[in-house]
Amino acid sequence: MDPWGREANPPPGLVSHPRVFAFLVRRLLSAVPALFLLSLVIYALLALKPGDPLDELRFGNPGFTFEDYQRLVKLYGLDKPWYLRYWYWLGRALRGDFGPSRRYGMPAAEFIFRHRLPNTLLLSGLAMVAAFVVAVPAGVICALRPHSLLDYTVATLNFLGISVPVFWLGIMLIWIFSVRLGWLPAGSMGTPGLEAESGWAYLVDRLRHLVLPVFALSAIQMATWTRFMRSSMLEVINQEFIRTARAKGLSERYVVLKHALRNALLPIITLVALAIPGIFSGAVLTETVFNWPGMGRAIYDAILANDFNVSMVALMFISTLILLFNILADVAYALVDPRIRYD
Amino acid sequence: MPWWTRAFATTERKERSVSAGALAWARLCRHRLAIFGGIVILILAFAAAFAPYISPYDPARSNLRLRFGAPSLKPPPDPRAFPRCTRPRGILGWPCGVHPFGTDDLGRDILTRVLYGGRVSLCVGFTAALGSTLLGGLLGAVAAYVGGWADAGMSRFTDTMLAIPQFPLLLILSGLLASRELPLAVHLSELLGAAKSIVVIVFVITVLSWMPAFRLVRGEVLSLKEREFALAVKAIGASPARIILRHLIPNAFHLLIVQSTLMVGEAILIESGLSFLGLGIQPPAVSWGNMLSRAQEFLYYPNGIYIALFPGIFIFLTVLCFNFVGDGLRDALDPRFAHRV
Repeated sequence: MDPWGREANPPPGLVSHPRVFAFLVRRLLSAVPALFLLSLVIYALLALKPGDPLDELRFGNPGFTFEDYQRLVKLYGLDKPWYLRYWYWLGRALRGDFGPSRRYGMPAAEFIFRHRLPNTLLLSGLAMVAAFVVAVPAGVICALRPHSLLDYTVATLNFLGISVPVFWLGIMLIWIFSVRLGWLPAGSMGTPGLEAESGWAYLVDRLRHLVLPVFALSAIQMATWTRFMRSSMLEVINQEFIRTARAKGLSERYVVLKHALRNALLPIITLVALAIPGIFSGAVLTETVFNWPGMGRAIYDAILANDFNVSMVALMFISTLILLFNILADVAYALVDPRIRYD
Repeated sequence: MPWWTRAFATTERKERSVSAGALAWARLCRHRLAIFGGIVILILAFAAAFAPYISPYDPARSNLRLRFGAPSLKPPPDPRAFPRCTRPRGILGWPCGVHPFGTDDLGRDILTRVLYGGRVSLCVGFTAALGSTLLGGLLGAVAAYVGGWADAGMSRFTDTMLAIPQFPLLLILSGLLASRELPLAVHLSELLGAAKSIVVIVFVITVLSWMPAFRLVRGEVLSLKEREFALAVKAIGASPARIILRHLIPNAFHLLIVQSTLMVGEAILIESGLSFLGLGIQPPAVSWGNMLSRAQEFLYYPNGIYIALFPGIFIFLTVLCFNFVGDGLRDALDPRFAHRV
């Protein structure tokens, strides 16, 4: 008991941390069987899908005889039932060997992680940063002036943003800025042959290729986050401690930026954490429209071409990330909000 | 009754209590965007349903003399470029030969195809949304009511489903069911013919998007089943199925309505994305998504933009309107949300 007759409570954060740690460990452990199950299901679906990785060879090469086909089927073990193949795949995957990509003639992991992942990280990462940088101030400003003309305009834009089909937005952007105005390139990552140019010209060229896809990709996230930011900020700004801060005579700027924004950002941080795996998985529609060689496109092509090893390594990588970030988001919640109990 | 009695007789006037439904309806009517959205959706649905009577054309018949026609309200000057019509004039006075949205790369009328495509897109949206919401809602209610390991197992399963990257799985599943080797898929195509891809898409979207409804309803039923009315029904001796279907789900119904409305837009977006990639609705059938699938090739052609512009605008408008209505319904049915968003 302290002199005012209250129970002396230790700061809640310190108590909850060991429990949060135990929670983290338990969730991580429970994610392991989920991942095995997931890999089994995905492998089964891929294997049940008609066609096999040799289809491209068979139909693309006139000199490819049926004997060749049978020999390769035996060599790659494609005559075995899918559960046996899954078992072999699992054994090798656990040792870090994800098998070769039959289509690209290199290890599947190398193709995904060295040739596709960096491109996707660049595009989706920039899109996410753009969305965040626009959404937070927009949401705050709207929450500070609710029901103003600006607020309604932004709300309308949000509705447009969550409703627009992203590939159609991409096509329209290409038509306006590339076909009609000729300001920006219509697709791909850079003008071929420009790698040898001076660093500056190369950089500008790469940036010009990024503008349209980044805009198309960030539209949805921008809209969702602005909406969330606005409602979160509205909730915070009407609370007592903000009134107290104002009553103390703090400047409005200080109240908004130091007191309100910090609290209002918490739910958004969770949203952002949950969106991070999306950076890695890429966006197949946007990448298709802008001819961007990223992860989404790689997975799409691999599934259509029955390139099992590439599909598996990419899909398992993304699923692992999604599970991991789900757990991290929960843990972050626990660290931030001591009222949440884990048992 | 003398006038002074009437003037002060407040107690005698019939007090009519307002039902919850009427209150919700009144709140919905105040949401102007929701009303706008609802009216637009009704117009679109009617236009799609009566497409053969509105349009004078066959959506599949090409006219190679009139490829990439510009939108115009006048018939072409050259009579040889006239398309062969199914009727001389649509019911809204749309004469044969006029192409209000222009023609596509095979000379087919774009507005006609948009109307026919609306049938498929709206049907896919409605059915998939209804299916996924009902499936998720039912599973969620059962999981929450039964509790214990069944609940834990189903919640884990839902989390795992949410961890699967959705789009690749959509691709795998639609590829799987579109094949000609799997016995089930062959049986389906014999049964359904050209409509098979539509059924497959509805099924695939339903299977992969019931999770939000599961979570919503599970959370609601967890709290509902402890309330007095649920305990009372249980005490009378009602069976679990009756409690869930007649008492718990109706009380969580507002969540299902809002979720399914928002899901219609979502399903239309998924369908159009898949069809754009060529894995959704297959060509003899028309949908807004598969009208766009080759549109990007024609961007550099004169008048080629209209092939991409109009179907996209209709997807955009429809999804937007469903979002408006969903938002209005949420405000109307769940007053806790009304002041927040």
